[in-house]
Amino acid sequence: MATPDRTRSTQKHSTHKLPINVDLLAIGIGLALAALIRLGVIHQISF
Amino acid sequence: MSTQTIPMPLAAEAQLRPTSLVATLPGIALLFSIGLAGKLLEHAFTVLRTQHHLPLPQIEYVLWAIILGLIVSNTFGVADLFRPGVATYELWLKLGIVLVGARFLLQDVLHIGGLSLALVAVELVLSLSVMTLLGRIFRLPPKLTSLLAIGSSICGVTAIMAAQGAIDPDEEDTSTAIAAILTLGAIALLAFPAIGHLLHMGQQAYGMWAGLAVDNTAESIVTGSLFGPEAGRWAILAKTARSSFIGFVVLGYAVYWASQGQAAVVEHKTLFLWQKFPKFILGFLAISFLATAGFFTHPQLDSLSNLSRWAFLPAFAGVGLRTNLKDLVGQGWRPLIVGVLGEVFIALITLGLVFWSYNHGVAR
Repeated sequence: MATPDRTRSTQKHSTHKLPINVDLLAIGIGLALAALIRLGVIHQISF
Repeated sequence: MSTQTIPMPLAAEAQLRPTSLVATLPGIALLFSIGLAGKLLEHAFTVLRTQHHLPLPQIEYVLWAIILGLIVSNTFGVADLFRPGVATYELWLKLGIVLVGARFLLQDVLHIGGLSLALVAVELVLSLSVMTLLGRIFRLPPKLTSLLAIGSSICGVTAIMAAQGAIDPDEEDTSTAIAAILTLGAIALLAFPAIGHLLHMGQQAYGMWAGLAVDNTAESIVTGSLFGPEAGRWAILAKTARSSFIGFVVLGYAVYWASQGQAAVVEHKTLFLWQKFPKFILGFLAISFLATAGFFTHPQLDSLSNLSRWAFLPAFAGVGLRTNLKDLVGQGWRPLIVGVLGEVFIALITLGLVFWSYNHGVAR
């Protein structure tokens, strides 16, 4: 039988999930940002 | 033989609790706060060292973000309010990988990515065999052995979670495998850069090694980045190539356990492979293609690269925040021993493969 401590890690990974596909969201945001930079809407980004 | 079938989408995914966007905001704020604090600490240490000549070590923001995340999660703990947002670290990680495609010419992606695929194929066969053998020697439950083999040969927790819906293991086995993989990832963060420096490895060779040997994508990128920014980029490329195998390995185990009557039968194998394929890799390839085709100017490529670093900042904080040391030490010694022995084997094999590739002119 699973102990509470042992199930915690799984619960953390399985229950909190965005309601949309994370991969597609990452691609969508990435391509949108790339388009905005290409069109000059977003200017120089520094880090 | 079981007659149960896996509906598409997988039952395990259907049980996931949707999280509203608003609920993620506190956690996202926490991720960025910790990441920014790490960046400020790196800057402060640099100023104190260079302008005030204090004998302080140079610690990259990557490591600071992880250390601060570890301190928060293991002292105060991560309150329920923050958990949905902290879970978005995966989104920031994948967004960072998509954007970093701007730093790769497509021919490099095809050459090094292709080489990585070949090395991964060798690594997969050896690591799956060794982990299975070790699991039998140490008498681990068979499905726990499968989970450890899948996690250590492909992409850590993501692969284990993907396998959970396919081979139907006990929840305890899943938790133990995840804890073992996270523990080994934490060890790799410290050990790999030290070994890389000891062996005087180049940035590209080390990055490939980190990408091929460290399991979790986040830990793999961090392990590469701790050696240098170039190594971090090559680690991303090697790791994404390795992750692309996830569907095949999970499908193989699903078919095996279904043949034993202990898991659901996979009806649509092609659809299964597509569903398990990490699709963010396509975004990485698309940005790399556009960059290679001259779609962006050099300053725009710099901006995209810097945006990817901003995206990695909360992802690195998330690595620290999700690591609970109490969970890691309470998992039992046998899975950890199997994991350690298997990971050491994989690290040595991949190190040998990388050295062979560079010494024989296969990699450039």
